[in-house]
Amino acid sequence: MSISRRDFIKTQAAIAAATAAGTTLSGAKIAEAQAHDDTIRWDKGACRFCGTGCGVLVGTKQGRIVATQGDPDAPVNKGLNCIKGYFLSKIMYGKDRLTKPLLRKTKGVYDKEGQFEEVSWDEAFDVMADKWKEAIKKKGPTSVGMFGSGQWTIWEGYSASKFMKGGMRSNNIDPNARHCMASAVGAFMRAFGIDEPMGCYDDLEHADVFVLWGANMAEMHPILWSRLTDTRLTREGCEVHVMSTFEHRSFELADNGMVFTPQTDLAIANYIANYIIQNKAYNQDFIDKHVNFNATTTDIGYGFRPEHPLQKAAKNPDKGKFDKVTFDEYAAMVAEYTLEKTSEMSGVPAEQLERLAKAYADPNKKVTSFWTMGFNQHTRGVWVNGLVYNIHLLMGKISEPGNSPFSLTGQPSACGTAREVGTFAHRLPADLVVMNEKHRDFAETTWGLPKGTIPEKPGYHAVLQNRMLKDGKLNAYWVQCNNNMQAAANMNEETYPGYRNPENFITVSDPYPTVTAMAADLILPTAMWMEKEGAYGNAERRTQFWRQQVDAPGEAKSDMWQVIEFSKRFKVEEVWPADLIALKPELSGKTLYEVLFRNGHTDKFPVQEITDNAGNVYNNAESKDFGFYVQKGLFEEYREFQWSGPKKGHEMAPFEAYHNARGLRWPVLDGQETLWRFREGYDKHVKPGEGINFYGKPDGRAAIIFAPFEPAAESPDKEFDLWLSTGRVLEHWHSGSMTRRVPELYRAYPDAKIYMHPEDAKERKLKRGQEVKIQTRRGEVTSRVETRGRNKPPRGLVFMPWFDAGQLVNKLTLDATDPLSKETDYKKCACRVVRA
Amino acid sequence: MSITGLIIHTAPKNAASVQQAVEALEGTEVHKVTHDGRMIVTVDNEDDGKATQTFDAFRSIAGVLSTSLVYTHFEDDYGVGEHQS
Repeated sequence: MSISRRDFIKTQAAIAAATAAGTTLSGAKIAEAQAHDDTIRWDKGACRFCGTGCGVLVGTKQGRIVATQGDPDAPVNKGLNCIKGYFLSKIMYGKDRLTKPLLRKTKGVYDKEGQFEEVSWDEAFDVMADKWKEAIKKKGPTSVGMFGSGQWTIWEGYSASKFMKGGMRSNNIDPNARHCMASAVGAFMRAFGIDEPMGCYDDLEHADVFVLWGANMAEMHPILWSRLTDTRLTREGCEVHVMSTFEHRSFELADNGMVFTPQTDLAIANYIANYIIQNKAYNQDFIDKHVNFNATTTDIGYGFRPEHPLQKAAKNPDKGKFDKVTFDEYAAMVAEYTLEKTSEMSGVPAEQLERLAKAYADPNKKVTSFWTMGFNQHTRGVWVNGLVYNIHLLMGKISEPGNSPFSLTGQPSACGTAREVGTFAHRLPADLVVMNEKHRDFAETTWGLPKGTIPEKPGYHAVLQNRMLKDGKLNAYWVQCNNNMQAAANMNEETYPGYRNPENFITVSDPYPTVTAMAADLILPTAMWMEKEGAYGNAERRTQFWRQQVDAPGEAKSDMWQVIEFSKRFKVEEVWPADLIALKPELSGKTLYEVLFRNGHTDKFPVQEITDNAGNVYNNAESKDFGFYVQKGLFEEYREFQWSGPKKGHEMAPFEAYHNARGLRWPVLDGQETLWRFREGYDKHVKPGEGINFYGKPDGRAAIIFAPFEPAAESPDKEFDLWLSTGRVLEHWHSGSMTRRVPELYRAYPDAKIYMHPEDAKERKLKRGQEVKIQTRRGEVTSRVETRGRNKPPRGLVFMPWFDAGQLVNKLTLDATDPLSKETDYKKCACRVVRA
Repeated sequence: MSITGLIIHTAPKNAASVQQAVEALEGTEVHKVTHDGRMIVTVDNEDDGKATQTFDAFRSIAGVLSTSLVYTHFEDDYGVGEHQS
């Protein structure tokens, strides 16, 4: 019996689904399909979208990706896909893919007011290098900058950071992870002295209680949600608490769903700590041995420009200092957050708050807390992250299976790249920082640079970059792998004027003509996802590699290729002062390419044939062009920071190990990954007999840090009477530059809409589906009203997703940030909604 | 052309009625139902846009707890440019 090709594919699909379900199929068709060697080549990869980090198998046929499936061997997703991951194979094939550099020109020469024209890479980089050199000559290295990404591969971020900090001598490099994970990082550093979660996704199968604090996992982390759902349905006594400022899909599974008034999460978390103390439920032994108590500086402002009235009114703007207090003093500080007061502030019924507090306080229940942007995009984001650590630390419910305060990530490599390789304006690889002389020394030595190359002062962070572009202090600027015109808050007043400032030259690297690319002066066509050898690190510290599956279209090149190629255009004399070169005269006359990459160290691995276990051969465009195994050289150099640097705890396995494994969770010690950090028996950094060691801190103790409730930067008033919250929807990822090009996803959720309570709509004489204007003090956007569907806001709050380039919600949002993390609060500003 | 392999979760007692409803939809085929109520399903569509409609339809069948997409195959399909309103 012969089967048609279509039947054959269908049978393959059925087999894959059966495998993921842990069952098998039988029959003649199946046997034939399994025996049949189709023309599709399958290889492992990591999903391009969120921070979950699902493993996918990528099917390639004749140089084109035609199929993907959830990788049954991937521990993260065990063969499953969410709807975005399911359509992955289509993201590279949008018909408007960019394939040539585009420069704004008039009459054949660059002109900021000109029209985009195709140019060669040579011409593009010539013009761009001139602008960078001119800026450095006029105003020094602080006039150049780069805005990167938590979607960069590990070596893309590493090479960009090295190029900017070690080559251009500018710390003005920051990732879009500033908009999403900076508050989480800040809290990790304050409480534990080392970044990223101590637990892992295995907690999903071990917890008795799950608590969602400002995370809509059902839509944003669907695969983790399916694992959580399985545990909820199969584990006796398991319960799920969901908190948000509006009701969303995760409430469908909630045993205790709570809608709270924006910003009062600060009060709720303190109430729980107070409940634990009042009922003497805390773990005295754990507190005595592993914790110290502190209180943070208060009244710290809202990260506005210094002349903003709220900034002037703050007593301690931007201060993050925290001081030791006694347990009793801490107890007295949380004492004001009584059940009655917290219920009144938050609008959550007292019995629901108490139920939540009891779950945390029960010594026999394992509790895993999850949060994402509800906490991070918060003017007190670092504080509120820390308040949940306080609860877990009071109970000793941390660093063991099921007991886990877990900060989820939004981007596929916000952890692996943005945070770990040092792409933030103040960071260096492996948790080092530019402010610390020893750390700078280590980086300079490892990179073969003279002492003093890396500036001591942190560079401009994301929000500050836009302000400095507008103010004309940042003049040559490169955006890679993100869509910040659409993503950054207050686009009308800050981002757009900054990009179009005549003093500035803006380069945007992207696969597609995004809103940001169209606002640039030079657009560079970029190879994406499987068009390059790559590596991502997900939220559970899992580092995952993939091979280059297909070639990029036309002249598109990877972000890393672009940075390394661009570095050839600079001689050290053009960017470094003479006295610095004099410290290492052997570098004089060299290009930054020769100093940073082709230096006898980074380039020590020769080009090699890349194969998988089946003997398939893969291309590696960058290695071919530069003549050495670029990815391996950069990764092995990065490992020197992990294994020989001044901070332990970030150790990774050798390069090759990751091409074989389905990812490994760092620290990888003696060839073994670490599932729960800081606890003896799980983490090899903890010595026998220590039990727990928070080794990121010199004294081995985690910091409980009290922080009070302080109000939001902007709240509804008479003129602008509604809270506006922004965020994502299941079908689209971030600004939609990939998912809106997949016909199925586009059709599933074509345009943004504004979710509103039916009574709020009625009061404004608005009907469902009606066109409306949403207005804030900063701008106006037209959308349509939705009073039903997946999101059900309470009275007084509206929600609008930001994926839609046709409805730029960031014309409305406020560029208030957490003064400590500098992360924008996208969840709270005041708006009004009127008929269009 | 798009072909999908997916798992539909249902309670065992509802499996028969869910299977009937799934099979009533265009292009669907149920390959197996496990004893704990998981259904191995394929969806075969000429028109790619139909796939998401079919997935939506699964969600609204009484007794369906969740659907998990596993496998996807597309051919002769070149994406579209971004839609902007």
